[in-house]
Amino acid sequence: MSPRRTETGGRIDRLRTIRFTFDGAPYTGHIGDTLASALLANGVTLFGRSFKYHRPRGLLSAGVEEPNALVTVLSGEVREPNIPATMVEIYDGLVAVSQNRNPSLAWDIGAVNQLGGKILSAGFYYKTFMGPVFGPLKGTRFWMFCEHFIRRAAGLGKAGTAPDPARYERMNAFCDVLVVGSGPAGLMAAKAAADQGARVILAELEAHFGGSANWSGETIDGMLAADWAQRTVGQLEGNDNVRLLPRTTVWGYYDGNTLAALERVTDHKEVAAKGEPRQRYWAIRAGTVVLATGSFERPLVFPGNDRPGVMLAHAAERYAVEYGVLPGQRIALFTNNDSAYRSAVALKKAGAAVVAIIDVRGDVSTEMRRLASEAEAELLAGHAVVATEGGKALTGLKIQRFDAMSGALSGDERSIHADSLLMSGGWSPTIHLASQAGAKAEWDPARQAFLPPTPTQRWIGAGAFTGSFSTAEAIAEGRAAGLQAAGGAASSAPVPVVEAAPGDPDPAPVFEIKAKGKSFVDFQHDVTADDVRLAHREGFVSVEHLKRYTTLGMATDQGKNSNVPGLAIMAEALGKPIPEVGTTRFRPPYTAVSIGSLAAERFGDLKPERLTPMHDWHIANGARMYSAGLWYRPMIYGLPGETVEQAYVREARATRGSAGIVDVSTLGKIAVQGPDAAEFLDRVYTNTFSTLAVGKARYGLMLREDGLAFDDGTTWRLGEQEFLMTTTTANAGKVMQHLEYFLDVIWPELRVTVTSVTDEWAGAAIGGPNARAILASCVTGTAVDNATLPFMGIAHGQIAGVPVMICRLSFSGEMAFEVYSGAGYGTRVWEALIEAGKPFGLVTYGLEALGTMRIEKGHVTGAEIDGRTTARDLHLDWMLSKKKPFIGSAMMDREGLIAPDRLELVGLIALDNRPLSGGGHIVEQLDEANPHHSLGHITACCYSPALGKYIALALVKGGKARHGTRAFVSDPLRNRFGPIEIVSNHFYDPDGSRMHG
Amino acid sequence: MAEQPLPERQSPLEPDYHPGSHGNFEHGVDVILSETRPGSILQLGAWPGEEKRLIEVIRKVTGLALPDGAGGGASSGARAVFGFAPGKFTVVDEAEGLAATFAGVITPAIGTLTDLSHGRTAIRIAGPKAEWVMAKFFAIDFALPAFPLGAGRSTNHHDIFAQIQRSGADQFDIYVFRSFARSFWKALCHASEEVGYEVQ
Repeated sequence: MSPRRTETGGRIDRLRTIRFTFDGAPYTGHIGDTLASALLANGVTLFGRSFKYHRPRGLLSAGVEEPNALVTVLSGEVREPNIPATMVEIYDGLVAVSQNRNPSLAWDIGAVNQLGGKILSAGFYYKTFMGPVFGPLKGTRFWMFCEHFIRRAAGLGKAGTAPDPARYERMNAFCDVLVVGSGPAGLMAAKAAADQGARVILAELEAHFGGSANWSGETIDGMLAADWAQRTVGQLEGNDNVRLLPRTTVWGYYDGNTLAALERVTDHKEVAAKGEPRQRYWAIRAGTVVLATGSFERPLVFPGNDRPGVMLAHAAERYAVEYGVLPGQRIALFTNNDSAYRSAVALKKAGAAVVAIIDVRGDVSTEMRRLASEAEAELLAGHAVVATEGGKALTGLKIQRFDAMSGALSGDERSIHADSLLMSGGWSPTIHLASQAGAKAEWDPARQAFLPPTPTQRWIGAGAFTGSFSTAEAIAEGRAAGLQAAGGAASSAPVPVVEAAPGDPDPAPVFEIKAKGKSFVDFQHDVTADDVRLAHREGFVSVEHLKRYTTLGMATDQGKNSNVPGLAIMAEALGKPIPEVGTTRFRPPYTAVSIGSLAAERFGDLKPERLTPMHDWHIANGARMYSAGLWYRPMIYGLPGETVEQAYVREARATRGSAGIVDVSTLGKIAVQGPDAAEFLDRVYTNTFSTLAVGKARYGLMLREDGLAFDDGTTWRLGEQEFLMTTTTANAGKVMQHLEYFLDVIWPELRVTVTSVTDEWAGAAIGGPNARAILASCVTGTAVDNATLPFMGIAHGQIAGVPVMICRLSFSGEMAFEVYSGAGYGTRVWEALIEAGKPFGLVTYGLEALGTMRIEKGHVTGAEIDGRTTARDLHLDWMLSKKKPFIGSAMMDREGLIAPDRLELVGLIALDNRPLSGGGHIVEQLDEANPHHSLGHITACCYSPALGKYIALALVKGGKARHGTRAFVSDPLRNRFGPIEIVSNHFYDPDGSRMHG
Repeated sequence: MAEQPLPERQSPLEPDYHPGSHGNFEHGVDVILSETRPGSILQLGAWPGEEKRLIEVIRKVTGLALPDGAGGGASSGARAVFGFAPGKFTVVDEAEGLAATFAGVITPAIGTLTDLSHGRTAIRIAGPKAEWVMAKFFAIDFALPAFPLGAGRSTNHHDIFAQIQRSGADQFDIYVFRSFARSFWKALCHASEEVGYEVQ
């Protein structure tokens, strides 16, 4: 038997032993134990070191609010830091380690910080690291010097660096009623709503449903509350309209009754089943939410309240009743309210000696006196704890007489020998989600607590969440909330009968015992009562500033323990009542959320891959693929030993020498159909399309509404009322949105539909002097001669037995044809073209060669149509119709868009025969030490096999006027400087004779 | 001369389409995944005010009567139709050639017809956990009362646009862009591992 485990009791399975390690030491526990309860059962009192002072810390709580016992769970190379030991369910092989200590938890070198005392008070960093105004550590240099050491000495757990192999998922859920919390109120709400036929989700952050029913020792309907809870859960499980989510923390309440929750699916398992995620992020859209989130017991603020062995009273009760573990053998309780008396009785029943109940109230009720007597505890009314004793475990405490009205201590100190001190400073409803939902909490002077605000979204509160702390109230409110949420009528049926210990829910308004020594308000961030008063003295009057200056209630605590005591101390310092000081707004997340769960199925797979119909062929035939947006496209089809430049030069040269073929399936393709399609295109493009003959294509340019160039491409007239628009690959989505916007919003009277048909067609562009001969050898059903298929003509035929549509147009500057087939036949047609091209030495080419040939021709792409250039800048002003208005025509002649000093498209030739780089600047005078006076920049560059030179396209001030002049490239980032000649952007075949044949 | 039948179309899923049981299937499979490979997938659009005429044309050609209301649909096994946007419908047929049938009856006065038979890939998910797996992808209420039999929805999974039709009590047909289909298929298989799945 472990030292603190009771002989009987608890919900653990004593027949099943679990083996785990903490800081390398082996321990055992039972199924049903948390890491906290199992270690406590093994006699462990020291769980962590505090944030700043490295003070030894033990368990404060038994639940999600635990601020001290934060551990790191190791799984292989992966570390998950800052998990409350109270929320870790043990399993065989669990490895957990403590945090923020060096070299060990017992002997921590950082504990020297305790000697720093007042120096390390609130604002320490702000005050200390402003830095001297002169000298080697001037300004922030002092901070930078110290930062490394400070970061090692202060903080919480360390995140790991190993990749997380775990799986995460997202789940979308819809329900009529979401019930958050499964204590008696939540269970009743879920049951009532489910009985009405509503779709119900019940989320419980702990492993087991039941909440306080699991440890209250009360009876409901004549049975132990825990059994009643189990029975109710069983009833809910049988309903098809109920989804039960244990281990699920609802952590965010957003607009439209959308809530975020995190389910810990396999964190408690030694091995996850195949495909089972570690955690699941639930996005829940709820008709109505029932908030039955209970309440947190508050610590009292007094010297030494953080010593290991000092614990919240209900937590000790819970360890005893739910886990069969006693926090100590000689227990004292310190309280300002009645609830601790029930805890005293429960601990006595579990086998502990309750040596004293110290109550700040001088006037304790007869009922509480009876409970104290039942616990065989000495009742010390009108007393307060003024000190605790011990090192890494509590050995005793000191008390003095106390006046709850004035806060004054009097009389001699008295020592009490105890190894556990349980405190209760009253209860705060867990209103985090309600606060996130929108409204401001309201102070209740009787409960001495902030109660939930009036709902601004569709939620209903029930139970302790509303400040109704008795189980009978919780059950009644829960049922009413469930009925209301499900749209049912109020029920006159009797509610379950509760037998519970008596108790007044209202505490004495005592939060702090002012005596000598450090009294902690925020245990997680080492914020003391003196820190709060210091902030006040230094002028921080707003509660929001107090929070940020002292770090009170920050980190994972989020005010769960510290909020109300901190505000009370601040209010007293300000001489104002608490409601006038106000409270901070709780923000999501309620508890820490793994980044992995938010990434969910995108974890490790950020974006989908978009593949052309011929993708597998490219891979099988040696293509090196290139990511272009979501698309994957061949960059080169390299031969063994070839560099990228050698490959693209070979591919481009072979294309111009005989023929080449490239996959152009990625081009955006939009079907523009309807009686007004031609009129619509006239408005969309700068040039005219209504005059285009059926069976012909035309190059078009679009402007944005502000007159800047937007996109270009060819559009094919397939029928009188049917066009196939092509766009650049990158802009396909934007153009589609652009067209839909104008049709839906600006010109709804036009009878036109636009449909993305990008994926309907596989496209292969075959170009070069032998392109027509290759086509002729494999196409049936149409001729491809100049008469049948002139430049910009369209023909229909078959290749390899499937229909194809061929348009004669060119991006490479060679005689070229784009061959479109149904995407499902793409590879078949592609392979037929490759086969037909073999006698002609047809090569496949990738994006690099495509880019090279377009630069040689001086065609523009997204590199030049970059959102800053106009049609005139790109020498496309010949496309700006003067006969009709079009999108952008009203704005394109603005002064700034026609200014003579605008950047214009030019060509560049490197005179030193060295490669140029995109982004490099053009200057008239070279000054490597002080580059300045840029004339413009390079947009695209390559080695031109046609010219035998390194060339580039650039946007340069003066543009055409500089043709034939010399300048320099100035690229200090890549240390590339050298002479260039500015020429026309049409480097190759400027009259188009090769293309037109 | 009789027309030669067209060759079989290449599936975009091919290298990642592995018939058989996968994932956590030791205790049985809870979803069945398949590519249905319909011969025809069409998009029909009616001009404002012409929706009822188009619905009538659809009924005459396919025999499927569309219910009133957005997202309504119907399926007969071999054919299916559903509205996916105001005045816009997806029509599916196991057989090829449906576009040619419609081409003669959808006049310019009614609306437009766009053939997407190659451009969309049809994936079916069926089984008791179909709703569960679908909920991992789409922020849509898949419960039968909210998403009745035959009804269709337009939605997206991150960057992947999808149209979904409920074709059975526990069966959905998902239409995605062909270029995204393999990526979506892999994600669907991955998400189905938890419940055990079979590819047919």
